[in-house]
Amino acid sequence: MGQVTDLAVSAILLAGLYATMAYGLGLIYGVLRIVNLNHGGMIMAGAYAGWWLHAQFGIDPYLSLIPVSALAFVVGVVIYRLLVRRLPRGAAGGVQSLLLLFGVWLVLRNAAYLLFSGNDQTIRTSYSTRAVSLAGAFLSVNRLAVFALALLVLLALHLLLTRTYLGKAIRAVAQNPDSCTLVGVPVERIYALTFGLGTALAALAGLLAATLFSFNPDFGATELLKSFVVVVLGGLGSVAGTAVAALILAAVEVFAILALPAYLTAAVGFVLLVLVLVIRPGGLFGQRVLG
Amino acid sequence: MKRILPAWVRPRALIAVAVAAAILAVLPFIHGNRYWHNQLTETLLAIATALAWNWLGGYLGQVSFGHAAMFGVGGFVAARLQIAVGVPMIAAWIGAGVIAGLYALVWGHPTLRLRGPYFSIATIGVGEATRLICTYWVWLTGGSSGMSLPVQVQLKYQLYWYALALALIALAASYALRRSPLGLALLAIKSDVDAAGDVGVSSVRLQDLVLFLSGMTMGICGGFYASYYSFIEPGDMFGFARSISFVLMGVIGGIGTIAGPAIGAVIFVLLRNSLIASYPQLYLGLYGLLLIFVILFEPLGLTGLYMRVLRRARPDLGVTGIAAPESAAPAIGVTPPVEQREAK
Repeated sequence: MGQVTDLAVSAILLAGLYATMAYGLGLIYGVLRIVNLNHGGMIMAGAYAGWWLHAQFGIDPYLSLIPVSALAFVVGVVIYRLLVRRLPRGAAGGVQSLLLLFGVWLVLRNAAYLLFSGNDQTIRTSYSTRAVSLAGAFLSVNRLAVFALALLVLLALHLLLTRTYLGKAIRAVAQNPDSCTLVGVPVERIYALTFGLGTALAALAGLLAATLFSFNPDFGATELLKSFVVVVLGGLGSVAGTAVAALILAAVEVFAILALPAYLTAAVGFVLLVLVLVIRPGGLFGQRVLG
Repeated sequence: MKRILPAWVRPRALIAVAVAAAILAVLPFIHGNRYWHNQLTETLLAIATALAWNWLGGYLGQVSFGHAAMFGVGGFVAARLQIAVGVPMIAAWIGAGVIAGLYALVWGHPTLRLRGPYFSIATIGVGEATRLICTYWVWLTGGSSGMSLPVQVQLKYQLYWYALALALIALAASYALRRSPLGLALLAIKSDVDAAGDVGVSSVRLQDLVLFLSGMTMGICGGFYASYYSFIEPGDMFGFARSISFVLMGVIGGIGTIAGPAIGAVIFVLLRNSLIASYPQLYLGLYGLLLIFVILFEPLGLTGLYMRVLRRARPDLGVTGIAAPESAAPAIGVTPPVEQREAK
């Protein structure tokens, strides 16, 4: 019984991270209809940025969240302005943007190999191994912090999308860019902003993940897949849907440890993806666009 | 004169390929250079894989980032069949090809209902999952340390002609899959699955067929690779870099064209063996930059470039079939451009 409770708690804590990770991918797809394959690259880049700041200047990884996300936002806008904008929209552009962003990911990966070598790295802080006792269970401080921050980010995003003028514009562009042009919404700028926002979220999630797990330049590939599973499960851009989907994925993964050898748990996400696509291609909650 | 060939086979293409094949078949006796012999064998194998990838990635528009899975399965099954059961080489290749094709169906039948980006991401998962499982599946693959086949120097020399045959078969299949009535059905599926269904094209069955053929060819190529190098290990056979190389050959040459990927394969092997062998630490980045540049400037790769030059030089020919510059739709000869329909 105790084991099941422990696993359930760790699944909930992990779900926060997964939701943040997936939200950036879902946001970009929801608005631009582009699957950002560079998502995995930015997750990896975020992890390394936090690690570098910590190792070089001793900056606490949670403090560096803000500068790293801001930088990633700029990187995202630049990638959009420089590359993605030049591709045709719609179905014809789908495969092209996919290959293009995949190329960006490969370049990032190679850069990470050159700069930081292929060795596994971890961010170790004074509180990395500390735990607090909560209702009889010991919980790692880091996991709690990541969970809290993830909730905070998701809440902020939800408020941004539903309560602000900018959020309204983003949702409008997601529904119909042509009409937006007619009523004077700067569609191109919204696209750039959304791409930047999604990229920033990827880097932020990467940095959060880096406080929990070790990483190397290949980090991000399985994270991309997991994000994708969550997006497909939860529908696009709905914060609640994303949260529930993240919880499902985290629970399936965590409980799979009970039944499967460790090396197979990596395949669990994929099996879940295929199952969802076969049983409910529209996601668990049907198609909804942002909100 | 009564036609012996089906109406969709162009005699000129047939003659050109026959001449090229004849030249390649006698070439080793002329140059007698072992280095070039090896390079040509590698190139011919790369051509076969690039063409097989293109059936799915180009003709159906389902870009796979996980085709190394079938290559690897084919390689290890062929090697295991030869070592453990003593099956003759060619039979082992074919058996491995069939198993690789069936394996492709196992993951592909459910995932092929996804279109475009969705399918591609799923294939990343397939590739990674297959690599992990096979790395730990010691009984089949020998684990991380891989497995060896007996080295036969004479056989390795002769395998050149097998590779030539493999590439020719793949090319013939590429031609048939594009030009025959079946090719039209594939084009219809690529441009609009639902509309294709409405006019009586069974998209599920045809996609499965193409996937099986693609996977089978990949498997046979994997088997060939095992025989040629006498040593295979999962990290290399199932590696992500291998999957990317298939994508890259297609993109360089021109996704969805008949012979483009073959040319892309030639360029790719040349590039890999000259440039990338000197800077092994840069190969991923170079692959990435190549992808970015080709997609940005000529989405149809070398074939697109060729069409552009041809249009400029001989406007009287009225070359339009392949995407005009303003609509960069990779589908060949498909009208109306997809963007127009999206705009409705």
